[in-house]
Amino acid sequence: MSVLAIRDLTLSFRLWSGPVEVLHGISLSIARGERVALVGESGSGKSVTARIVLGLLQDQSGARIGGRVEFQGRNLSGMSARERRALRGRDISMIFQDPTSSLNPVFRIGGQFREVLARATPGISDTKARATATGLLEEVAIHDPARVLDSYPFQLSGGMNQRVMIAMALANRPSLLLADEPGTALDVTVQAQTLDLMRTLVDDHGTSVLFISHNLGVVREFADRVYVIYRGRIVEEGPTRAVFEHPGHPYTRALMAAQPNLTGGGLPRIPERDPSFLAPLVVHGDRT
Amino acid sequence: MILVLRSLSKTFETGQHRVQALSDVTLEVAEGECMAIVGESGSGKSTLANVVLGLYPPTSGEITFEGEPLPAQRTLAHRQAIQLVQQNPASALNPRRSVAASLRLALDVHGIGEPRKRRARVEELLGDVGLDPSYATRAPAALSGGQRQRVAIARALACESRLVVLDEPTSALDVLVQAQVLRLLDELRTKRNLTYLFITHDLAVVRNIATRVAVFQKGRMVEIGPTETIFSAPSHSYTRSLISAVPVVTPEEFAMRERLGGRS
Amino acid sequence: MRRALSILASNPLTIAGTLLVALIVLAAALADVIAPFPEHQGAVVDFVNFNKPPDATYIMGTDLVGRDLFTRILYAYRISLILGVAVLAISVPVGVTLGLIAGYLGRRWEYIIMRVTDVFLSIPPLVLALSIMGVLEPTLMNGMLAVTAMWWPWYTRLVYNIARGEKVEGYVLAAEVIGASRAHVMFREILPNCVPAILTKMTLDMGFVILIVSSLSFLGLGVQPPTPDLGSMVAEGADYLPDSWWLSVFPGLAILLAVFGFNLVGDGLRDILGADR
Repeated sequence: MSVLAIRDLTLSFRLWSGPVEVLHGISLSIARGERVALVGESGSGKSVTARIVLGLLQDQSGARIGGRVEFQGRNLSGMSARERRALRGRDISMIFQDPTSSLNPVFRIGGQFREVLARATPGISDTKARATATGLLEEVAIHDPARVLDSYPFQLSGGMNQRVMIAMALANRPSLLLADEPGTALDVTVQAQTLDLMRTLVDDHGTSVLFISHNLGVVREFADRVYVIYRGRIVEEGPTRAVFEHPGHPYTRALMAAQPNLTGGGLPRIPERDPSFLAPLVVHGDRT
Repeated sequence: MILVLRSLSKTFETGQHRVQALSDVTLEVAEGECMAIVGESGSGKSTLANVVLGLYPPTSGEITFEGEPLPAQRTLAHRQAIQLVQQNPASALNPRRSVAASLRLALDVHGIGEPRKRRARVEELLGDVGLDPSYATRAPAALSGGQRQRVAIARALACESRLVVLDEPTSALDVLVQAQVLRLLDELRTKRNLTYLFITHDLAVVRNIATRVAVFQKGRMVEIGPTETIFSAPSHSYTRSLISAVPVVTPEEFAMRERLGGRS
Repeated sequence: MRRALSILASNPLTIAGTLLVALIVLAAALADVIAPFPEHQGAVVDFVNFNKPPDATYIMGTDLVGRDLFTRILYAYRISLILGVAVLAISVPVGVTLGLIAGYLGRRWEYIIMRVTDVFLSIPPLVLALSIMGVLEPTLMNGMLAVTAMWWPWYTRLVYNIARGEKVEGYVLAAEVIGASRAHVMFREILPNCVPAILTKMTLDMGFVILIVSSLSFLGLGVQPPTPDLGSMVAEGADYLPDSWWLSVFPGLAILLAVFGFNLVGDGLRDILGADR
């Protein structure tokens, strides 16, 4: 059974100027322990998809959501806001783009960690929480957990905060981890390290990951399977290798060609928009 | 040499904290070059850009532009000659002023062309960056990120500047838009014999647009050389680690990274 | 524009406020035409018809010397509005300029201007105006000056805060790098981004200025007889409540409507102009 199954998801917002369709019926699924990437440019609808999976858009007035989002076989839209809130931080967790601003600047890491743990274990004792947090920080290769737990986020480097975020996100052993452009705000060397770290950890815990990104290189290295999203539609899906080595959709091909290569090759001439980008879905075989 | 930096250092002091943002940087940039300044946060690459732009003076060292020393207090002529394209196109244009007003400012301040011909000049500039003249009357909010960045480039062109500091000009853009803006920048450089100081952390972009690369780490320049050499045979270990950290896509890139002894 | 209209359409209170303000402004402007007894704006005594409750001739009744209250309210509105405009016409340019200088130039300008502003803002407005009026003669002119003196600091602080935020925006840097003058950056680049907030505050303030001028004259300072003023009319009538209720109720209502109307318009403007974008 899939951990996450999205069927024909549509989303539109009612604005002053009239309704705006953001998602035109996207479908995707993530199996247990699978790392799936949703790749697209800004405005493609990748981030709102993540927000819907987190249950954050369902209660927003003006947002109309259609289709089904099933998490471990349970329909998210059928749940109450309270039930969805209970899932967040326990069964579904999230890592954001900028680690430093997603931690609360006025509380120490230790206190914020305790709150995360308390979502799964209400009333967890301070000593217990600290011991658990220490173990989790060691897992993300933080060698002096005691100092980190006593620090405020601004006293730590961006890379350190990112590790803390990863440790927190995995603290309650969630079944699904949503990673929205993780590490984009970090330096490349730090980004590479945190991605390696994240991959090892989710492998160890068998966590499924929905990885939202615009960076083809990062996706290529991290994901098992890729969905390419363009203006609210999935245009191509398949195993990462197949999609990257034999991109079938004109839009995917344009994305690949536009990506500057480390080996050179010059600057390609590629249109920003093209009618062919709206061509029908291309699916690569050997799906799991 | 259009720009020469000699033993340039910059120290910031706030309270008890002293940060050596640039230490003893010597760098020569030839006319018509695209000189990439590469580094991670804290490398001093932004400080270098700001010192060249005259936003603050160096603590020590000298900057020479077109053979003359650049003073801390820049004259209008200096401002005209050295321009900037910023990273974030969303904030680089005044949201309450039209595209034309943003471009005209440069023409008015430097008295470029006859006043009554400036309107036409603005439309010409828009054409030069691949935008329709009708964009002149629009507000920045009506433009996409890529279009705004084109206007920002047009603004630098409007000054008829010779040296343009490009501060991460495409890192806020989507990859398809980035490809076009990079192409435009490259074409403008050859067509107008512009010199670029391309500040960036993106090595893949550097590989395809720069003529030479200077790698910065913690305020020091650790390596400099022609782009080809830097990527085929980097001599400094930091350069190698930077290149191998870049997330890559094609088999050739994977092979290259492996050859450099990085991750595979 | 379409967005503005649709926000307006979905906000009946703003429409009501706009109509109310329009009505008040129109009535004040056309007082000479509308007023049943234009001569009653001055020192007129009619011992036959004094202190009369509202009837068909005097729709809001007459005051203690027999003047038509409706007429006097119309003329009082006219003076209040002129006073409001005059106060804002001086305090807004002064306050905005100081705010821009403090916010953009910073350093010692910021220090000096903002400390002076803090001093003014730490004194309750009415107390400050009262003390100025106490020292000076209680005339219309001095009333206006007193209110102006306490009004500009609010604009300084408003604009200062916006300017400090805008100063770090890329477009300010771009203008500086081009070589634009400091005056250009302040008035042509930063100021346009303050306009929505300033306009909104000005509209709200029209109501408050009317209120504070009325308060001053209620206390016997400010507009002096026989010039009609809403505040002094309420004060005169207050002694004869509840029997001669119309003496203070109608002027009081007039103040209320004006303040309420300007507030509604101000709130609507904030939504339309996106002053807190």
